[in-house]
Amino acid sequence: MIEFHLDPRSGVATYLQIVQQVKEALRLGTISVGDQLPTVREVVADLAINPNTVAKAYRDLEREGLVVARQGRGTFVASTLAPAASLPHYEALRAELERWLETAEGAGLDEESIRALISATLREMLARRVA
Amino acid sequence: MSPPIDARRLGKRFRRDWVLRDCTLTIPEGAIVGLTGANAAGKSALLSLAAGLLAPSEGSIEVLGRDPLREPAVLAEVGYVAQGAPLYRSFTVAETTEYARRTNSCWDEELVADVLTRIASRTKVGSLSAGERARLALALALGKRPRLVLLDEPFAGLDPLAGREFLQLLMDGVAETAATVVIASHVIADIERVCDHIVLLTGGGVRLEGDVEELLDSHRILMGPRRPLGSIRGVRSIVRERYSGRQLTLLVRSDGPIFDPSWTVERVGLEELLLAYMAPERMPVPVPPERLPLRWHG
Amino acid sequence: MAWVTWRQHRPQLVAGLGLLVALAVAAFATRLPIQAAYHRDALSDCLPPTSRSGCDIIVRHFQSEFDSWVAALRGLAVLPALAGVFVGAPLLARELEHGTHRFAWTQGVTRRRWLLSKTALLAAAVIAGGAVASAIVMWWRSPFDTLQGRMAPSGFDVEGLVVPAYALFALATGVFAGLVYRRTVAAMTATLVAFASTRFLVLKFLRPHFLAPLHNTVIATDTARTTGDWVLSDVLVDAGGRRITAGREDLAVLHAQHAGIDPHTYLVTLGWKRVIAYQPAGRFWTFQLMEAGLFVALAVAVVLVTLWLVRRTPT
Repeated sequence: MIEFHLDPRSGVATYLQIVQQVKEALRLGTISVGDQLPTVREVVADLAINPNTVAKAYRDLEREGLVVARQGRGTFVASTLAPAASLPHYEALRAELERWLETAEGAGLDEESIRALISATLREMLARRVA
Repeated sequence: MSPPIDARRLGKRFRRDWVLRDCTLTIPEGAIVGLTGANAAGKSALLSLAAGLLAPSEGSIEVLGRDPLREPAVLAEVGYVAQGAPLYRSFTVAETTEYARRTNSCWDEELVADVLTRIASRTKVGSLSAGERARLALALALGKRPRLVLLDEPFAGLDPLAGREFLQLLMDGVAETAATVVIASHVIADIERVCDHIVLLTGGGVRLEGDVEELLDSHRILMGPRRPLGSIRGVRSIVRERYSGRQLTLLVRSDGPIFDPSWTVERVGLEELLLAYMAPERMPVPVPPERLPLRWHG
Repeated sequence: MAWVTWRQHRPQLVAGLGLLVALAVAAFATRLPIQAAYHRDALSDCLPPTSRSGCDIIVRHFQSEFDSWVAALRGLAVLPALAGVFVGAPLLARELEHGTHRFAWTQGVTRRRWLLSKTALLAAAVIAGGAVASAIVMWWRSPFDTLQGRMAPSGFDVEGLVVPAYALFALATGVFAGLVYRRTVAAMTATLVAFASTRFLVLKFLRPHFLAPLHNTVIATDTARTTGDWVLSDVLVDAGGRRITAGREDLAVLHAQHAGIDPHTYLVTLGWKRVIAYQPAGRFWTFQLMEAGLFVALAVAVVLVTLWLVRRTPT
């Protein structure tokens, strides 16, 4: 069973932290297919957070196909994560990213602007997928 | 479905002082609302009006679609805890829950017992600690399985551990009953953790209201060299201006992404945002309430 | 609401019960010597309408022997006020003073139903208590009632139907005062004042006129007192029917003393008479009904006003 922890100062939205922690647990093998996630009640009684937040996190996970909610019985792990990208892919992507970053810096963007551009573009891309 | 609270131009006057004036707001169902503002801003008055303890001096308020003064039966679905959690000090804990059980048609014994764990039922209310009294008051409010819970400064007098415990029990009760909650507190940190909706009162009026996420998404802090200001692309209005030497810091309402390279752009925390709206530094008179459209695409 | 009312007013109701028990015990204990004296002096022979020689003295002796106790009994007239001061006044005043109304009035019972149920249940208790106290006093006073009647306030106020009626009125007044003053001590004081003033006003101005008083004209020397009746006034009038002032009376007595005549006989020769206005003893139950009815009606009116006002109270 997973136990969540919340970092209110991290700047990351609460529901995202929950989603990330579920994915981490899947990656590490702490939980596997068929395990039950803590109920909404259990999570909020432990963390003192808004039940809607937990519900939203679980819905997101369900949309990604990682968990499934069974009416009246709880939320269960449905599948594992796709295997992490292989090492050579990783290196290639990293090099490409470095090149792009140098271009952006050359155009005059500072660190914050680069981060804003990346996160906004990523968000839009994911939003287009869902719609 | 009627909203849990619907106030229209609500006003309340005590003798000659207006505690609330021209207050219009709607609380969305299922939200956990933080009602905040300075000490005499009108938070207690608003909750008392919703609980049918006060009559409006002008305007109207409807709770779950009904006027709490004309149809007091609606209060059976409202769990209200007044400031200081007033209870009968000579009653035992068991007698207090018995009182509530007998004066409410709906009663969830299990939920009450959950909230009251580790409190002996024979203890007199007068000898409970502040945290235990707050829990008892919460248990009584949740025990009737209300659709709306109103809490007036529930954290006052609670140490951090008791405050966290209270919040845990409250959230558990909300998860169980799916109630809408309004927590009035002038300490923003206490409610920042759980609220998804904020109402900020200043001087008896609604200064800011909206979904927390959208508020945080639509405000930014801009820092840059001091200069005369024109319009900045992506900035809809300036909430607060501060000067320090040659640095200018703005807190702005944005209506789009801000990519102006002459400014450093940062997100703002909820507490700072609320404080900026509370401060009168850059408040034009009269102040229109800032209310957000339900969606914008960033 | 029955359990709620019982639990919240348990101390007062238990104290009230204790008071009644103490009253009963005291009544029983003090009755024994009275009973003994009664038999010793064979007073049953002296009860009107029977009479025998020397009865006058025996009766007077008997009465003076227990005079202090009978007088002390008048103090029981304060009992109904206790219902108002200690049960009625704290009902609303304590809730409002401590803010617990913010808890009590936000449950599933409306303010009016809460107040009405509590008042009705306490009214029943207070009426029952008043009836028991009245019964105890009536039992204790029976020989004195026969000898000196109970039409006068010393008997009327502590017997019969009026005692529970006073208690009900006191309770209603207390509840109302609690709503108006919102502080327990102030409400208790106000209740006492209001209750006492109302009782005084009714006694002084209304009760003597419930039914038209009867008049008895006797010669000036007649000193016999009509027993059992409530004497309202006893004045000297001259032959023409005019009231004689104290100055005029003193003058006549002085004149008689100078002339060496017995003053009483002199007054008779002047044609002066005594006019006694009184309410006859036979009207006891009629008057009891009327006064009890009056106080019950007042109580109901006060309760209705309180119920109407409680909805409008800003808190």
